[in-house]
Amino acid sequence: MHLWQATLPFCLLASAALPVAAASAWGFTDATVAVQPKGAGVNSGFKESLSSSKPLSQPVSFAGADTLRVILTTQEGSSAKRPHQAFLLLKDSQTGLDISYPFTVKENGKSRVELTQKELPIQFLSLSEPIDARVVIGSFGSSEAYDSSVFSLSIDRDPDHPVPTIEAARYGKLPEIHHIFKDAATSPPVIITLAFVALVGASLPILAGLWLLLGANVNHISSAFKSAPLPHAIFLGSLFAFEGIFFLYYTSWNLFQILPVAAAAGAVAFVSGSRALGEVQGRRLAGLR
Amino acid sequence: MRWCLALLICALVAAVNALSSSGSRLLVVLDDTTEKSSYSTLWSDLEGRGYDLSFESPKSDQLSLFAHGERAYDHLLILPPKSKGLGPALTPKHILDFLNKDGNIVLALSGKSSTSSAISSLLLELDVHLSNDRSAVVIDHFNYDTLSAAEKHDVLLLQRPNALRTDVKAFFDGEGVLALPRVAPQTLGSDSQLLAPILKAPTTAYAYNPKEEMPSPDDIESTGSQLNVVSAIQARNSARFTVLGSVEALEDKWFSASVKAPNGKKVPTVNREFAKQLTGWTFKETGVLKVGKIEHHLATDGEVAAEDLNPKIYRIKNETVFNIEVSEYVYDKWVPFEVPGDDKLQLEFTMLSPFHRLALQPTSRTETSAVYSTQFVTPDQHGIFSFRVNYKRPFLTNIEEKHEVTVRHFAHDEYPRSWAISGGWVWIAGLWSVIGGFLAFVVVWLYSAPTADKAKKTQ
Repeated sequence: MHLWQATLPFCLLASAALPVAAASAWGFTDATVAVQPKGAGVNSGFKESLSSSKPLSQPVSFAGADTLRVILTTQEGSSAKRPHQAFLLLKDSQTGLDISYPFTVKENGKSRVELTQKELPIQFLSLSEPIDARVVIGSFGSSEAYDSSVFSLSIDRDPDHPVPTIEAARYGKLPEIHHIFKDAATSPPVIITLAFVALVGASLPILAGLWLLLGANVNHISSAFKSAPLPHAIFLGSLFAFEGIFFLYYTSWNLFQILPVAAAAGAVAFVSGSRALGEVQGRRLAGLR
Repeated sequence: MRWCLALLICALVAAVNALSSSGSRLLVVLDDTTEKSSYSTLWSDLEGRGYDLSFESPKSDQLSLFAHGERAYDHLLILPPKSKGLGPALTPKHILDFLNKDGNIVLALSGKSSTSSAISSLLLELDVHLSNDRSAVVIDHFNYDTLSAAEKHDVLLLQRPNALRTDVKAFFDGEGVLALPRVAPQTLGSDSQLLAPILKAPTTAYAYNPKEEMPSPDDIESTGSQLNVVSAIQARNSARFTVLGSVEALEDKWFSASVKAPNGKKVPTVNREFAKQLTGWTFKETGVLKVGKIEHHLATDGEVAAEDLNPKIYRIKNETVFNIEVSEYVYDKWVPFEVPGDDKLQLEFTMLSPFHRLALQPTSRTETSAVYSTQFVTPDQHGIFSFRVNYKRPFLTNIEEKHEVTVRHFAHDEYPRSWAISGGWVWIAGLWSVIGGFLAFVVVWLYSAPTADKAKKTQ
């Protein structure tokens, strides 16, 4: 127990010293990132040297026809060496999308990778935020692998060209649909309706006035009822009954209810009407009409 | 004595219940019986969960997935064979037929040797792709076990996966580290909605053929999270097919191993729990949905009489209520189904295309089921409609319910009467003024006396 306690600080000390001594770490040096516009010379365009400890502060702008080139020399510890894995890893932190582009590495550790927008996944083209560009260097054995952000890449699109989109079918909830109902039937304002009802209603008094102007009267009513009181009363009554039947049909009755009643009223009107109209004919023959 | 017997029966019933929802006959296809002993914990775990395990060699003459045209087994677990293929009884066609007949399959691969072309072509049928030379292994220089693979870095250490999306239920999550030795990676076709990754490789991982010295950039086909360690296919009939990249992860050795990531602590693996989750899901112990009662009726206050339930006919613009009862199977019992996070159980009211697509809300629950319901107004379009619940989600069995009803239009006596429509008053007034005018005319015609001077004029 005491021994263990005594050796612990020593072990810690030894482990702190260890990376310097044996287990080296992968890294890189002489790194540059360049963006070369299409058709421009080799050294024109954007060029910046990269540090393995700190990412560039400004995002690298990468437009439609540009070529992005990253050149670096991989190192194990401080000696240049070829690793098993040397990737430029592009990663979007929001969607979690990642893709790696392997460097072409020579024996002496000199590595380069070139990239155009055509090689990017379509999903990257529609991102608004810059994506994270990392360098990943690793190999077998005990050397510690390197994975760190070196710059951020802002993918610029020509606004005239639409961003290609990809729609992959996935099971999930679909947008809600609410049926849009046709508009309900509406009526004009009641005031206007009432004005027209008044106009229509006024036609009856106007008609009556015109008839009176032309000399219409009911002067024969007493003589008619005196000579044939029953036929006239029943005939007129049956006519009014007809309208009453129609009113009931309009409000509550159905066809089978009105038909027998209407037939009865019709028969009554026929019989009483022939008598009543006979009396009217008698008045005409007497020269009274 | 009697209650002893009752207890025994209860225990038996419980034992029978502690089973997959779709049968217990499990066929394990493995090369030789010596191999069998290295997976003994897995076999005892499966037997403990109620499976009847049969072991067959792919070369065996008796091996057949079907008997008399029906499935001879409910589930299939295929370990990678050492020989070239899986033999005549397990051709890709037989395995797909098994899947089509609702059989569930776990296919384990191994990066130790190259995968046979028969398995590769089977996976191609399902739009799961292996690497071109079929012998790639996933390497990650950041998440490897320093104890067992200090030099080769081919034992991946991964966290158990969380939910695939915010609207998908997590069936494989949990604490702890998985050790996955020598993973044969799969990539999934992007067009199929039946495919879902269960466990992806970390972003810094890549695949390469260990027989080659140094991969050239052209050899690296896919990297990072495009590589799948475990992937799942759920067919349209809800049969499940799981591809596990590392068969060694199921070995007793890795069930009880301790692993140490670079700069990490030594921890025991959770491979055993993950194997339970994985086989449990594939063999339909989890993620199985069942629809109970479906009820629809006119919206009313209070109770609905039994004869008013599920009418065959509705009228347009009827206020309608729809209820559906859904249960989920979790290992050994049915529990109320809860829709995960952002997801929604949706009801469609369709005639050719949906007129309404509404989220069903949970309204009540019983011990084994949850009732989801919604209320809506039938569209102002008559015809043959159907209530449709089409719930297809990754890792859950499909719900596809269709209940047809007629929607009629208003009957002649269901419209408002003409006097109730203020715009119709003018016409009603016109009608009755004509009737009044007619009666007045009859009276005048019957009883009018000619005016004296007019009569003279006309004569």
